Amino acid sequence: MSRTISVEGDVNAIDTRVLLTGQGSVTTPSLVVPAGMKKIVKIIATACTDGLAAGEVVFFLRLGGNAVLNGEQVIMFGGEDSQTVQAGSDSAPSLGSIFALNDADIAVASSDTISIAAEMAGVDVGDATVAITLVYGK
Amino acid sequence: MPKLYRSREGQVTAVDTKSQLATLGSETAPGPLLVPSAAKNLEAIICAFATDASVVADGSFLVRLEGPGLPEGPETIVIGSQGVSTATGGHGSRTAMRFELDIPITPANEILIFAENVGEDVGTATVGVTLEFTV
Repeated sequence: MSRTISVEGDVNAIDTRVLLTGQGSVTTPSLVVPAGMKKIVKIIATACTDGLAAGEVVFFLRLGGNAVLNGEQVIMFGGEDSQTVQAGSDSAPSLGSIFALNDADIAVASSDTISIAAEMAGVDVGDATVAITLVYGK
Repeated sequence: MPKLYRSREGQVTAVDTKSQLATLGSETAPGPLLVPSAAKNLEAIICAFATDASVVADGSFLVRLEGPGLPEGPETIVIGSQGVSTATGGHGSRTAMRFELDIPITPANEILIFAENVGEDVGTATVGVTLEFTV
């Protein structure tokens, strides 16, 4: 049996740790690891930017908090770039791709709280939205 | 067995130049990346990169792993490529890639991570690498 938790948030500045605590219409989803779950078995991550600044970044995830048994785990999951010469109907969309890390196997303590944060590093490309799903297993 | 993930990122601004990835976003000086004491091997690396596509050119990127944490010597892994026909506007998105490996390691010793743009100079790139250790 597995359980999931998804969170999202805005990452609008480079080199800034942003806690992802929202879930759309659910503003404060529980970040307590469900009872009986022993590890994170899969991570699904996506990000896209508005491209309002010219640059290039990589995105990464920080998993921490009391629930993560072996300390903070930091995992890269994507990159985005933008040139700002484009305008109007010439503007290219940012189609955020999905990264899925299967068999992530990160040990967690059930009934304890996990902290899920994201960052972008590099040269600022504008505002970003990041969404993460953790799949817990036994 | 649980896994441990350690990451670094940095910029590559010139072609055929080894650039060390030594920062981690808000951590500007995370210090040496040491092989965790409980680790048994380097099972995989996860890489993400993006370029500013500011030059009409085509090039590839590779990652070099070096240091005393790798008893068998340095490793080199190609992680992707980039090319544009015009440098007058665009937007790119890349997912990270996981490359499965099985590289012996020496616990408590340092691994240095470098990235490099080879081929033609495609502008400025940011590269991030995660090392996936098994325990």
